Amino acid sequence: MASNDTAAAEREERLKSALWYSIGQYIDDQSLDSDLNATPQFIGALTELVYTQIANTARDLETFSRHAGRSAVGVDDVMLLARRNDALEIMLRGELERLREGDDVGAGSGGAAGKKRGRPSGGGKAKGKGKVGS
Amino acid sequence: MPPKNTTENASRRKGPQFNPPRPVKAPTQASTTTKRAPAAAPSRTAGAAKKSKASAAQPVATIISSSEDEQEDVQEADDSDDLMEDAPIRDNTRPATNLAPIAPPIPAPLLARLLYENFEDPNTQIQKGAMNLVGKYMEIFVREAFARAKNERQSSVKGGGISDGFLQVEDLEKLAPQLVLDF
Repeated sequence: MASNDTAAAEREERLKSALWYSIGQYIDDQSLDSDLNATPQFIGALTELVYTQIANTARDLETFSRHAGRSAVGVDDVMLLARRNDALEIMLRGELERLREGDDVGAGSGGAAGKKRGRPSGGGKAKGKGKVGS
Repeated sequence: MPPKNTTENASRRKGPQFNPPRPVKAPTQASTTTKRAPAAAPSRTAGAAKKSKASAAQPVATIISSSEDEQEDVQEADDSDDLMEDAPIRDNTRPATNLAPIAPPIPAPLLARLLYENFEDPNTQIQKGAMNLVGKYMEIFVREAFARAKNERQSSVKGGGISDGFLQVEDLEKLAPQLVLDF
């Protein structure tokens, strides 16, 4: 049991290190653009904050999907995360639509679905959802 | 929804607590800024070392020539100093508006791993679309934290604080409560 605990703690530390690294990269990149700099302590604290946020998000998502009677977390569950922040919800909805479009194009690039999707925009009629179904 | 409700939810939540930073345990790849300068230095010192070795390998030198060598070495040092001063000067012409093409702060595989580690039920799955959306969510979170820290720094400089252009932990401390409430 004790070894299990230490293994889990070590895994968490390693994940935090990985998170630290990628967040450090990102913040350094961003601060170069704005002529700023970040202390290593700042990046460490931000890592802890983001880690905690991810952990809470994971629990939330799990709870939401359970509440809906599913065992897999879906897109709707993620949208629930933004229920208290309208601006955030708008951003996520925009991203969701962008992802859906990318998905359609990506999935249909090999087959006829992609061509069908391309045609309605040229015809200027509906979104083409009905045609894809046929 | 009244705010009272949200605070109740927050207090009832049994999620992990926010731990204060432990800078002592910084991993080796903590930040690139601290490494950039030393990384550039060794090549120059190596060059200087080579130079001095070459001068040492010369056959018996007259006093004048050896003094010339010293002179050269001093100049070399001056040159490297100049270069070191030049190094930190950044190209400020980089446009700050090209936010779109940057890689997300958290790589998708890492985020997926973190989520799966924190699910209570190991059988919980997450759909790919939902995963992408969580990635966007966390990207917005980190970006927002950085933007607010920047804002905090500017306002504290205006208030007469130190202005060395370094984001401090206290900036994060000030913005964290509102940030977490907003997300």
